[in-house]
Amino acid sequence: MDSNSLKSKCWEIIDSRADWLVNISKHILQNPEPGFHEFETSKFVSQKLQELGLPHQKGIALTGIKGIIDGGLPGPTIAIIGELDSLRVAGHSHANPETDAAHACGHHCQIGMMLGVVAAFQEIAKNSKIPGKLVFMALPAEEFIDVEYRYGLHKEGQIEFMSGKQEFLNMGAFDDVDMAVMAHTSKIEEGKFSIGGTSNGHVVKYVRFIGKASHAGGSPHEGINALQASIVSLNALNTQRETLKNEDTIRIHGIMTKGGVSVSSIPAEVKYEGRVRGGTTEAIADANLKMDRCLRAGALALGCELEIITLPGYMPIKNNPQMSDIFIGNAASLVGDNHVIQKSPTHNSGGSTDMGDLSQIMPVIHPYTGVATGTGHGDDYLVQDYTQGVVNPAKALAGTIVDLLCREDNPANKILSEFLPDYSIKSYLKLQRSRLTEEVYKPK
Amino acid sequence: MDLEEIKSLVCDEIERNGDKLISIAKEILKNPEPGFKEFKTAEIVSREFQAFQMPHEKALAITGLKSSLDTGTPGPNIAVIGELDSLKVLGHPYEDKETTAAHACGHHCQIAMMLGVAVGLKATGVLDELAGKITFMAVPAEEYIEVEYRDGLRRSGEIEFLGGKPEFVRLGHFDDVDMAMMTHTSASSNNCKISFGGTNNGLVAKSIKFSGVASHAGGAPHMGVNALNAAMVAMSAIHAQRETYRDQDTIRIHPIITKGGVAVSSVPADVRMETYVRGASIEAFLSASEKVDRALRAGAMAVGGSVDITTLPGYLPIQSNETFLDLYQENAAELVGFENLGRLTHRTGSTDMGDISQLMPVIHPYVEAASGNGHGIDYVIEDYQLAVLTGAKAMAMTVVDLLSEGASNASKIVSENEPPLTKLSYLSLLRSMTKEESFKE
Repeated sequence: MDSNSLKSKCWEIIDSRADWLVNISKHILQNPEPGFHEFETSKFVSQKLQELGLPHQKGIALTGIKGIIDGGLPGPTIAIIGELDSLRVAGHSHANPETDAAHACGHHCQIGMMLGVVAAFQEIAKNSKIPGKLVFMALPAEEFIDVEYRYGLHKEGQIEFMSGKQEFLNMGAFDDVDMAVMAHTSKIEEGKFSIGGTSNGHVVKYVRFIGKASHAGGSPHEGINALQASIVSLNALNTQRETLKNEDTIRIHGIMTKGGVSVSSIPAEVKYEGRVRGGTTEAIADANLKMDRCLRAGALALGCELEIITLPGYMPIKNNPQMSDIFIGNAASLVGDNHVIQKSPTHNSGGSTDMGDLSQIMPVIHPYTGVATGTGHGDDYLVQDYTQGVVNPAKALAGTIVDLLCREDNPANKILSEFLPDYSIKSYLKLQRSRLTEEVYKPK
Repeated sequence: MDLEEIKSLVCDEIERNGDKLISIAKEILKNPEPGFKEFKTAEIVSREFQAFQMPHEKALAITGLKSSLDTGTPGPNIAVIGELDSLKVLGHPYEDKETTAAHACGHHCQIAMMLGVAVGLKATGVLDELAGKITFMAVPAEEYIEVEYRDGLRRSGEIEFLGGKPEFVRLGHFDDVDMAMMTHTSASSNNCKISFGGTNNGLVAKSIKFSGVASHAGGAPHMGVNALNAAMVAMSAIHAQRETYRDQDTIRIHPIITKGGVAVSSVPADVRMETYVRGASIEAFLSASEKVDRALRAGAMAVGGSVDITTLPGYLPIQSNETFLDLYQENAAELVGFENLGRLTHRTGSTDMGDISQLMPVIHPYVEAASGNGHGIDYVIEDYQLAVLTGAKAMAMTVVDLLSEGASNASKIVSENEPPLTKLSYLSLLRSMTKEESFKE
């Protein structure tokens, strides 16, 4: 069968399973779990794979799933990725009231997309020989949150890296993968499909100010106020914003996860989880230096001890141009040219994804499907169009995979032969390990 | 003569010279000069010492004067002090338009009071009834201002300390003095005429320079290091520390920025700040000073700049001698009525009379003759009779109490007093507070 016929077959299969896929996504929406907590979500995905009769590995990087469908002929291996995890956004209409977990970033649709691609590929591989393999992956923890919890898992040795794709790379789960695709939801006004541009890289900060408790009324002079230290630090950090270059798209932001325990006691421990994002490694390093010295300044001013743990975050994403073109062709044939937006390669979304890490190692695409209203990561982010949110991207990705592997001009092999990786998996892991630093600062 | 006769002789003589003394105060009011610049004022004092036939030394600690009356009988030496310097207060009605110098703290009355005491004690026959000596001092620079200018004098070796009395001590002008008194003016607080006692904050002063890197504030702010932001962070940090100060330590930290950048379009690279760190005890203000240093370093550290901190000794907390005060109180009551006397508690300003109080018995009462806010544009003396003549009489009568009957009262006070510091330990304490530090962290 030629690639066009295979693609039509894929699309038929996905259309026939449209309700199944949408219901899977909606079920996950109603059962949100943040990264490295996606036990129920993982079980649910496993059940669905069993319904398809597909063997798979479970429990990779705690909750991840991986399986492989052999097309029957030698050829490249392409991974289709869906992300398992939710965010935490208090007050989201689908939030878990106990954990604040909520799919305010649309990952629930990705699992539907991934299963659509898998169901289609499984079916065509039964009847035709495909020159290559499809690896399917349900990955934990794309949102780099719960830093303290994840750092605890790291310390216990349950994971080494604190995001799903990083840890999958570390576990060797990408060793047999040549290229990877996934699609993410975005807001309706960004177009039915969009692709291109880049994202920020980042480092992650886990910070503790350690002061001294005392009676806040009776003997404040005997205390050392860690909360005041953190406030001086954050004020200082804000003064640094004028020194950040616009083109570096620096984002410095954080949350205070502990700000004292009793209002009548001088806060002796303050915990801060932060993020330093930027468009280039150099820009991130510069902003990170500024963050560190501002953190130290607050500690110095109040005489606190300070722990700064800097964790390897994500790298900026690069969408492979030839893969992008193939995706655009598939997307356009589904929704029409004028609904597919190609962003300039220099357009930086400001956010970050661990798909960026993967993009430094192998060719990837990370397109968006515009289906949501509200603000990404906000309490009002809701997917409105599940056909475009799940079914169409599954078809576009399946079509892209078929084109890559089955088209006569052999695009996948051509892309792989031309691709110049920035890192091998080994050199990537070495670099990321070196970026984990722990500093204890005691002002003199 | 009995005590009452001596005192009435003294008071009559002061009253007889009343117009003259008040006119001296007003002449000084109209010629205000800040500390270590009181050249005209010193000339006026010298002229008046001469007029009263009092030989005197001049140009002590740049502008100070000193003259003694010796009874010829051995006994303690009592210093009666007047302060020469004015403040600088923009917009004060008696402000020097060029320098903004203004007597917004009433020191001009102190000089007249000091001369009044001298005049009174020189009344015929008085000194014969007394033992010991009385030394009249016109001392420069009580207001601890113009820190950068004075630090320049310090660096060029003209002075070592930035206040007049510490300089007088260093130069030995208090070496032969056993006890000291002066009277300050104040605005009427609770319908009193004279108040006394209580304590004052001590202080260290700081002269601070934040250094950054200038660059185009619009075109290349990323190339700059903003020294003004360093100062701002430092001030926030200073405020964040305030909860750690105990109420009884009455810490006061009140910086000013004397240079905050030179062009709005250029990232400020040189920012200067001056501050005092005041507190009720030496330990308290030195501990607060360390916290302020940490905050200043933090500001520089946060922006990636540097900070130079010069810490200079300021003044020590004051303590009045109680026996000395008792004598003064009786005389003051006689002059203004007991019901018009007020007892002070702790005041959070500072005076270098505090330094003298660590070395010998002193009193530092107030004649409440002014209206307006001390150090404000509206501080003016309303009652010169009280501010100059009554003030002088109360002190002169107290000198009589101290030095009459063979100076028995003065000798008792001096022998019972246990000063916290000697001249040597005082000077080494002040020198230990002097620090010049640079931080780039």
